[in-house]
Amino acid sequence: MKRYWWLGLVFVIGLFLPRVVGEFWVHVAIEILILGLFAVSFNMIFGYMGQLSFGHAAYYGVGAYATGLLMVKASLPLPIGLVASMAAAGICALIIGYFCVRLTGIYFAILTLAFGQMLYYIIFQWYSFTGGDNGLQGINPPALLFGATAYYYFTLCVVTAALIVMWYISRSPFGYTMRSIRENADRTRFIGINVRRYMLINFVVAAMFAGLAGGLWGPFNRSVAPDLCNWHQSGIPVFMAVIGGPMGFFGPMIGSVIYTFLMAFVTGFTQYWPLVIGSIIIFVVLFMPGGVLGLAEARTKWFGSRRMEEDIDEPTGTEKR
Amino acid sequence: MDISLLFAQFMSGLARGMMFFLIASGLSLIFGVMNILNFAHATLWLAGAYFCYTFWNLMQDYGFGLWVSIALASLVMAAIGWVIEVLLLRRVYERKLPEQLLLTYGLILVLGDLIKLTFGVEDKVIVRPPLVAGPIFLFDTPFDSYFVFVILLGVSVAAGLWWFLKKTKYGHIVRAAVFSREMVSALGIRIPRIYTGVFVLGVFIAGLAGAVQAPVGSITLGMDMAVVVQAFCVVVIGGFGSLLGTFVGAMIVGEVYSFSILFWPEGALVLIFVVTAFILIVRPWGLFGTPMRT
Repeated sequence: MKRYWWLGLVFVIGLFLPRVVGEFWVHVAIEILILGLFAVSFNMIFGYMGQLSFGHAAYYGVGAYATGLLMVKASLPLPIGLVASMAAAGICALIIGYFCVRLTGIYFAILTLAFGQMLYYIIFQWYSFTGGDNGLQGINPPALLFGATAYYYFTLCVVTAALIVMWYISRSPFGYTMRSIRENADRTRFIGINVRRYMLINFVVAAMFAGLAGGLWGPFNRSVAPDLCNWHQSGIPVFMAVIGGPMGFFGPMIGSVIYTFLMAFVTGFTQYWPLVIGSIIIFVVLFMPGGVLGLAEARTKWFGSRRMEEDIDEPTGTEKR
Repeated sequence: MDISLLFAQFMSGLARGMMFFLIASGLSLIFGVMNILNFAHATLWLAGAYFCYTFWNLMQDYGFGLWVSIALASLVMAAIGWVIEVLLLRRVYERKLPEQLLLTYGLILVLGDLIKLTFGVEDKVIVRPPLVAGPIFLFDTPFDSYFVFVILLGVSVAAGLWWFLKKTKYGHIVRAAVFSREMVSALGIRIPRIYTGVFVLGVFIAGLAGAVQAPVGSITLGMDMAVVVQAFCVVVIGGFGSLLGTFVGAMIVGEVYSFSILFWPEGALVLIFVVTAFILIVRPWGLFGTPMRT
């Protein structure tokens, strides 16, 4: 654990952040945390399992709606909403994932996309229950967490706890089984592992954390809209993972910092944010394969020390399916 | 529920299916040959619609204005497709799937905003020439006469593509490239040139589809977001790279949509994804595809 002292440092900086910066940047920091959790959960499927899900926003949206509906319609407290978010997203992912894990590669991407759109249109059309394209308004966090700073600390705690759990999952035998499935699913099957079942469990766990991120989003934004689970929302974690580097656990979190900071900065003076982020995405894909972490590792010696080597387990390339 | 209503619904499903075919055939062709799933295909389709409006706006005093505009818009889109292939896509053929998808995803965002900057945020409406403005009657059932044009155009594009792929030398090369790139390039054929040609052809058809769509309703920003996923559904149902499959898939999606509007309007869009997911689970390579790619 000695090598991870910098994580403690980041957490301490996180604790003191609201004392240093203004309220606007506290909002940005909340967004970084929530979207970062979303992206790290996406990376459980993308980085560790090696499959591209293009419907991950659906679970984020389901989580957001679960918390929103429980808080608005049943007046239940936020923590119960968050647990329900994880459960709702997990149940959806269990049904959808059961079919998705039968496919790989581009078919996995399209099937997750198709199921994600199915959930989106269900939420979009079900006016009586979800409010349709009006969304849900008036999702107010409890009085204790009403201010930006209070909600920031709450989010920081929940996201940190979730990250620690996901970190242990990625370091557990289960996490290494996922890596082995990514590298070679056939050989993993030969040593007696039920590949589909493991993929399904991973899919469900990833969706549950996406649901948790969504559940945090609703009370932060005071409302939820069906666009949260539309497919173009699914492109955001893909971008965060790619720019931050999908091979490290914290890569997507770094991607979230980059993305959200840029968005806060760029939307300050132009409405053409998609143009800017689209150009950046194209630039990153063309000239920075491996993302920021990959680039930093290639350029600087100290960054490529033992710490990074354990984090980055690149595919060997010889045993690709 | 009488028979003429069902017939009218069937015909409108057919027209809708033809629209889907026009969009999805280019998508399917590009994926089949180049192995690239072009997320930005529907955004190019939308650009085609806007270009059609722009040209029509300049020539609206003439009866032939719309037809000339449709042709011009398709040609402009073909040129834009060429630029995109040469500048961007060419660099990612050797990359992994996520990077390719991310590139075309970035392209959607850029193109979407460029469309907004170029054509403005107001909805555009094209007034149709008298020839296709009113309804015509088929078996005493009123039917939009513009849809007759759409159906005829869809069938001719399908026939033209079929003729190109099955009967011409270039078509044979393209079909061979679907099966084995290495073999085709070993025969001394320049694969990059084939790729450029296929992408330009695909975007040309997308532009044509957009231009043809333009006079149906109003042209709105963001229309492409829903259409691209539906076009994916069409291609998935039919099977990637199969022209016949794309045609059948388009008809299925068009008719499913059209009839569910009649019986269960809220579920129309959901149902398309149910059908798609079912096909993907049972036959991932689609109705007419070949199970060779993973």
